[in-house]
Amino acid sequence: MTPLKTAGKPTPRIDAIKRVTGAATYTADITAPGMLYARVLRSPYPHARIRKIDVSKAQALPGVKTILTYENCDIQWSTGDTRNKRLLFNNPARYAGDAVAAVAAVNRHVAEEAIRLIDVDYEQLPFVLEPEEALKDGAPEIQPGGNLSPNGRGQHEPDKYSRGNIADGFSAADHVLEDSYTTPHINNAQMEIRASMAEWQGDKLIVHASTQGIANCRTDIAKDMKIPPEKVEVICLYMGGGFGNKNQCHDFDLMAAELSRRAGAPVRVEFTRKEDYISVHGRWPTKQTYKIGVKNDGTLTAIQMTAFSGMGPYRKGQGDISGIEVYQCPNVERTTSMIYTNMAVSANFRAPAYPQGVFAIESLMDDAAHKLNMDPLEFRLKNFSRKFQDRTAYSSSGLEDCLRKGAEKFGWRALWRPAGSDSGVMRRGVGMGMGMFPSSLGRSAAIIQVDSKGIYHLHVGVTDCGTGAKTTMGLIAAEALGVPLDRVDVVWGDTDICPYSVGESGSRTTVQTGTAVIEAAKDIQKQIAEKGLPSGSDLLTASADTSPALRDFARYSFTAHFAEVEVDTETGHIRVTKYVAAHDSGRVVNPLTAESQVKGGATTGIGMALHEQLLYDKRTGLPLSAGYYHARVMTHLDAPEIEVLWVESEDAYGPFGAKTLGEPTIIPSVAAVANAFFNATGKRVRDLPITRDKVLRVLSEGALA
Amino acid sequence: MEGTGAGIVAAKVVPALKGQTAKQAKAPEAPLAGPALDPSVPHSTIKLTINGQEHRVEVEDRWTLVELLRDHLKLTGTKIGCDRGECGACTVLVNGESAYSCSQLAVWMDGKTVTTVEGLARNGKLDPLQEAFIEHDGPQCGYCTSGQLMSAKALLLKNPHPNRDEVRAGMTGNICRCSNYNHYVEAVLAASGTLAADARRRA
Ligand code: FES
Ligand code: FES
Repeated sequence: MTPLKTAGKPTPRIDAIKRVTGAATYTADITAPGMLYARVLRSPYPHARIRKIDVSKAQALPGVKTILTYENCDIQWSTGDTRNKRLLFNNPARYAGDAVAAVAAVNRHVAEEAIRLIDVDYEQLPFVLEPEEALKDGAPEIQPGGNLSPNGRGQHEPDKYSRGNIADGFSAADHVLEDSYTTPHINNAQMEIRASMAEWQGDKLIVHASTQGIANCRTDIAKDMKIPPEKVEVICLYMGGGFGNKNQCHDFDLMAAELSRRAGAPVRVEFTRKEDYISVHGRWPTKQTYKIGVKNDGTLTAIQMTAFSGMGPYRKGQGDISGIEVYQCPNVERTTSMIYTNMAVSANFRAPAYPQGVFAIESLMDDAAHKLNMDPLEFRLKNFSRKFQDRTAYSSSGLEDCLRKGAEKFGWRALWRPAGSDSGVMRRGVGMGMGMFPSSLGRSAAIIQVDSKGIYHLHVGVTDCGTGAKTTMGLIAAEALGVPLDRVDVVWGDTDICPYSVGESGSRTTVQTGTAVIEAAKDIQKQIAEKGLPSGSDLLTASADTSPALRDFARYSFTAHFAEVEVDTETGHIRVTKYVAAHDSGRVVNPLTAESQVKGGATTGIGMALHEQLLYDKRTGLPLSAGYYHARVMTHLDAPEIEVLWVESEDAYGPFGAKTLGEPTIIPSVAAVANAFFNATGKRVRDLPITRDKVLRVLSEGALA
Repeated sequence: MEGTGAGIVAAKVVPALKGQTAKQAKAPEAPLAGPALDPSVPHSTIKLTINGQEHRVEVEDRWTLVELLRDHLKLTGTKIGCDRGECGACTVLVNGESAYSCSQLAVWMDGKTVTTVEGLARNGKLDPLQEAFIEHDGPQCGYCTSGQLMSAKALLLKNPHPNRDEVRAGMTGNICRCSNYNHYVEAVLAASGTLAADARRRA
């Protein structure tokens, strides 16, 4: 790989000082003179028709300015549901936490008091929480047309994929293994509290949003507020994380805009942490059943999956399940049903379709290796995907190196023993998982202006949700221009001064916006060569709007994670004692921030494996564990040290060969930990999270793998 | 359901507090930013020191400390992540000890000394913790960072040379959902001069 001058070296974030001094301004830090505070009233029932809503007492409270309910506001929230018409306030309410009213008042206390003074007469309706229950005859209908959510063509059918012939695959097998797995709803739980502040200047709407993509957020707001996009400015300078739950415009952006329009004053909407947990969205819960065929020598002959994803009552997310593709196999069949339920809404959370699917398929593959008396590493080296869906070549693949070099760094050969070999109270075991994630090319844009002093002003529409995108864009520009990083002034986070950028979702910023940055850099260099640097206050401007395409290749990032756990067989407590994460993300533009990403993603995945779940009371349909404490997110004490290994495969596409990184980091971690638990105890928990009660149960029941 | 009206808890304890702090009658110094104080709500005048500066302010008895800092004193470096004592984003120092400012009423601060993230740097020079946070890439999104810094500061004031486990235990009340725990711990060890010793011990 050709060495780079500026990029490719650990570089502190260009905005790091602001981040450590409290000077970085996040959405809820922004105020305007006369700003009102808004709060939202939510349904206390999982499914209920509103017979009557009386806001008179709330309206009479001094300091209350504007109240929105379904009776006086029919604004659609388009990105809140891609199949049905979802409004800001819906009747019936379809989950506990569905918005019923919003109040803007002079301060937060008055707004909160007003919320309590709204009288709502609810008629409770039957509800259903489990996807499979929701498909049964007589189940409550949550959306018109039935609880099997339609595909993009409006057909109420499961999503299907197949290649080869599944029946032939199973008859060619020496062994057939079959099992089911469940994974729960988990909240993204980004630290930044949910807020949006809107103000109107004449007919122009300015929204200080907390978004992973200002450009898309602006288009979405314009559409739902029925105004032209040029009349909307979205600003997001610092963003306190999102992990997929800030991809589009959200209902609070629209509520802020409408409350502000009616009140004639700036309005900030804030959600409480509990509202964030139940009323935005989390990872889709799944029930997955797999059947695989394998020969005595470990060759896979068939993989069949039938799965259900619980989407909550609105189709905000895709609901697909990925993971199978990391295996090479001629005969594959996959059927996924996306189901409406009266649980919290499901949509994107860091690699939306992957950790659940990889947990399941990697558990079963581990069982297959165990059955064949094979080292799980050998089994994977034999079966990992060589071509995408056994057909299309990868533009580059470091998956084999992730497996081999990762295992070496981890000390796999010394640590691995057949499952269940350890005895005693404290048992140790090791596990692994592998994963892949698309590193798509696609449209984005960048503008570079150079001034007479030779400072390059790089305008990119990124918000930097914690990924280090601003710094990465600066490094790519500096590298392409052949100048030190401090000659690049990155301008970001405001749709009025930044061109379109693909949102920070799908881990696409480095690749897609980075490509545009390089094109703009080339253009400005050409202009400088022709005209020289501008003089005085003049600027030279280059803009690039790129949308490269990939021909004849599939472009993916790859990863393999290795974990060692210690299981306390008396208390059921699991501790991760060693962890190695190997990643092929092509060229690593900034190893410092990239390491943070890997460590963060892996740690979040460990939490998904061991702790986290939004629990529901089956009798009342109410969530029980909304909030950091009850959801048991990872803390300093839970977090093991993660060792990171880069496998920088040479890739001909992307900026200097960079591939995607943010999302792959969480993909194999759940599986690695689950498999390590199996290796330590010889028992398997197929129902996430692997909590102490389940550990003690499988240990005592003797439920063999 | 709970979650439809945060802050109500704070409002309920107001009457009991009123008498305790209403003694100082002198007018407060400067008008506060943010929503105006509602005179119909019990309120008190308090004197406190924030980041080395003395303040005499009139506060509603239901205001939390983080509300006073963020809404009324424009010290927005202190963040709210949960507003109910679960995440640590709002951590500040009160008389040198770490405290969740969302779970302290402003009136309780009468006579106390509060340090926020804005008070860490001295005379334009970053605190060693801030330097180490940058170098070790502690902040990803940065939203938990002020709280992590203040928690680390409180720890180092008590225990200037903690080992790795002491750092993790001392900061476990500070959640980072970007989950950059490894880097935060390393940064604290580096700032306290114990990173090298830690590396030797583990080698
Ligand atoms: S905001 Fe105070 S602990 Fe979370
Ligand atoms: S850096 Fe994002 S929550 Fe800690």
